[in-house]
Amino acid sequence: MADVTLEHYKNDVERAWCPGCGNFGILNLLQKTLVSLGLPPQRVLLCSGIGQAPKIVHYLQANAFDGLHGRELASAQAAKMVADDLTVIVHAGDGGAYGEGGNHFLHAMRRNVDVTFVVHDNHIYGLTKGQASPTTEQGQKVAVHPDGVTALPMNPLALAISQSCSFVAQIIPSRPDHFQQVLSEAIRHPGFSYVNVLQPCVSWDFIHTYQYYQKHCYVLDETHDPYNQQQALSVALAADGRIPLGILYRNDRPALRPREVPGVGDLRACPDRAPRLQRVFDRFR
Amino acid sequence: MDISIRIAGAAGQGMQTAAEVLGRTLARAGLHAFIHQDIESRIRGGINFSQVRAGSAPVFAPTDRVDVLLAFTPESLRAFAAQAASGGLVFAAAPVQDVSAQPVHLGDIARAAGNEKTVSTVAAAIAACLLGVDEARMAEVLERRFSGAVLEANRKALSLSYEALRAQGLEGRFRLETFEKAPEGRLFVSGAQAAALGALAGGCTFMAAYPMSPATGIMAQLAELTHECGLWVEQAEDEIAAINMVAGASYAGARAMTATSGGGFALMTEGVSLLGMIESPAVIVVAQRPGPATGLPTRTAQGDLRLVLHAGHGQFARVILAPRTIAEAFEVTARAFDLAERFQIPAFVLTDQLLQDGQSIVEEWPIPPVRRCVLSGEEAERLEHYERYALTENGISPMALPGASRHLVVVDSDEHDTAGHLTEDAALSRAMAEKRLRKMATLAAEAPLPECTQHDPALPLVIAWGSSAPAVAEAIAMLAAEAGRPVCNLLQFVQLWPLPDLSRIPAFASASRRIVVEHGVGDGLAGLIAQTQIVRVDAAIGKLDGRPFTVEELAQRIRKEVFHG
Repeated sequence: MADVTLEHYKNDVERAWCPGCGNFGILNLLQKTLVSLGLPPQRVLLCSGIGQAPKIVHYLQANAFDGLHGRELASAQAAKMVADDLTVIVHAGDGGAYGEGGNHFLHAMRRNVDVTFVVHDNHIYGLTKGQASPTTEQGQKVAVHPDGVTALPMNPLALAISQSCSFVAQIIPSRPDHFQQVLSEAIRHPGFSYVNVLQPCVSWDFIHTYQYYQKHCYVLDETHDPYNQQQALSVALAADGRIPLGILYRNDRPALRPREVPGVGDLRACPDRAPRLQRVFDRFR
Repeated sequence: MDISIRIAGAAGQGMQTAAEVLGRTLARAGLHAFIHQDIESRIRGGINFSQVRAGSAPVFAPTDRVDVLLAFTPESLRAFAAQAASGGLVFAAAPVQDVSAQPVHLGDIARAAGNEKTVSTVAAAIAACLLGVDEARMAEVLERRFSGAVLEANRKALSLSYEALRAQGLEGRFRLETFEKAPEGRLFVSGAQAAALGALAGGCTFMAAYPMSPATGIMAQLAELTHECGLWVEQAEDEIAAINMVAGASYAGARAMTATSGGGFALMTEGVSLLGMIESPAVIVVAQRPGPATGLPTRTAQGDLRLVLHAGHGQFARVILAPRTIAEAFEVTARAFDLAERFQIPAFVLTDQLLQDGQSIVEEWPIPPVRRCVLSGEEAERLEHYERYALTENGISPMALPGASRHLVVVDSDEHDTAGHLTEDAALSRAMAEKRLRKMATLAAEAPLPECTQHDPALPLVIAWGSSAPAVAEAIAMLAAEAGRPVCNLLQFVQLWPLPDLSRIPAFASASRRIVVEHGVGDGLAGLIAQTQIVRVDAAIGKLDGRPFTVEELAQRIRKEVFHG
């Protein structure tokens, strides 16, 4: 195949997002990142579930598995275990990732299959019209919570670091170069990589705007050692109102790759099992 | 001729080990056996038993009769001593006041062998000796199972047991004749193992599951064969993850399966619907146990046919198969993989605790080659255009795999266009729905006619399916022998969905009465037949206690329906 260009990733499927949605920026930067990595669309598998963010997999040329709400990680990990030669990227919203699919997030971190989990975190349920998500601020008045949200927001970055997730980062599309650099690093990371993307919702959330993030975000500099779990945890738990961007934490523990397990091999091939089964039968005599 | 041996005691004492050693020994001796497990949901204590029905000819069903009781505890001895038939023999671990037993005590022999844990071997050896089996056959089984000092202790337990029975003149008391050729082609397996081996023969390369009784044996057996057979077994965090992993693995190109029981399957329901929408093949074993909710976790039932039939919102094609015997579990599971991939549907294998935990001696299965129904990379590459959901006459669209060619493969749980991208278009939505419904018609047209006896079609018809069918067949044979003539016809289903037009079977169309036997409240196949064939089902013989149907119980209940209905 000739050099990969943006043209290879473009399609004309109608975009069903609100005008001005942060997802447009994410889509654009995702395509650029895949091009910069030299990955042809045939080698890429995008997995998602249901919501506004998951629609992204239809808006670029690639293999796509758009499954159930919150279950995208389960399907994606299995697809990667089987098709080890594909680059697998999972897109979910904060509702699917941290609410409906919270259990799968916990166990994907433990399992460490080489997929990249990109969470479009806009602190709100967009497609169901503005209800609280697991990351909505306490006290914020949203649909179904006329008196304000009573539950504490989840801190998914601290959660991931505490579970020794093998790659934990946060990015925002309004800093495009940084976004691409960190996302590339996440995709290249040989293990489960988790990236929280800060994404303003122009229809339902008037607190977490681009201006808000412009004011509160800072990029981690070279004094931050992403291999230092304690330091990463302090950054994620800091209650100073500042929002960190960059790679908070990473480690080099080995990924789960069934293909490399002795005797397992390519799970897409259906070998003639007769000789092996004959030997297995002998155990039952 | 067959002899029924009940090995009873507290959970964890080794009754299942004893039954297994005995079963393997009988296989080597050219005899047959059917073993069922009656177990409580606990790891230690209580009263459990393994019942071995040994025969000169194949046996497939539980019996009430107890010819030999081997009791490891006073509680199990008191519970079952009365059930030992007249002429039966009772053996205890130690003397118990007020219960008469043979003067050969299992505990004494095990202690004399130098290891109290050899009590399992003692029990197996006493049974084998009573059946007149050569001691050397059991020695071979022990040599394969144990080594070192443990093997020596078990060998000693074996010889001491035979000596003790000879001293009492009991060797061969229940001798079973062997009519058999050399039994090299025989295997001793559980239903779960047969299903796991069938899955491998069917080309399974990926399983995701969450442990749940009585399904877990399948995943345990497959995991053990990971390296030898080249597959991956992933223990999922829950059943929801398991079914969604199966969907992902299948999309990526594996032949994928899961196994669970009713409660776990209830959690998978949305994922089943996903399989229907994205048309990814999958095999789902549902090992039934009594419900609702947790029910009786270690006991048996046939109550989930309707759950499996209707699971998943929306309309989509599926096939439901239920093996009747352990031998059939192999072939049916392998077939499920073929049907799943050919039609790109979820294929269900409905088993239950009796079948899963039961053990039997089977003839070694032939292993036919796997015929894949997905496009190879080369085949896909040759296509100028490819769309995952191309509209076809039979509703089946060629399935390419992601990454295998230059074509992209897109699937979507939303209604989608032929390329797999989500759509709201009315005409297209209808065309896609109709395409999926055409698969249901294609599948229904291939539904096989069930097996039926061909006696006078005006006789009453007894209808059976799954693991209770063999007990029904034996009970009916017993009634025919009593009467000296056939008293009813027997219709046995393996494929439960889709059903063919049963009016093509004279014994169904003309039956004077239709009597369905199924382990549960009788709202499964009985209702399904009434509904799909527009006929009356006159009686349903069910069971609510989680214990398997026995031949004697069924003979009595079928007799009542056939003669006095």
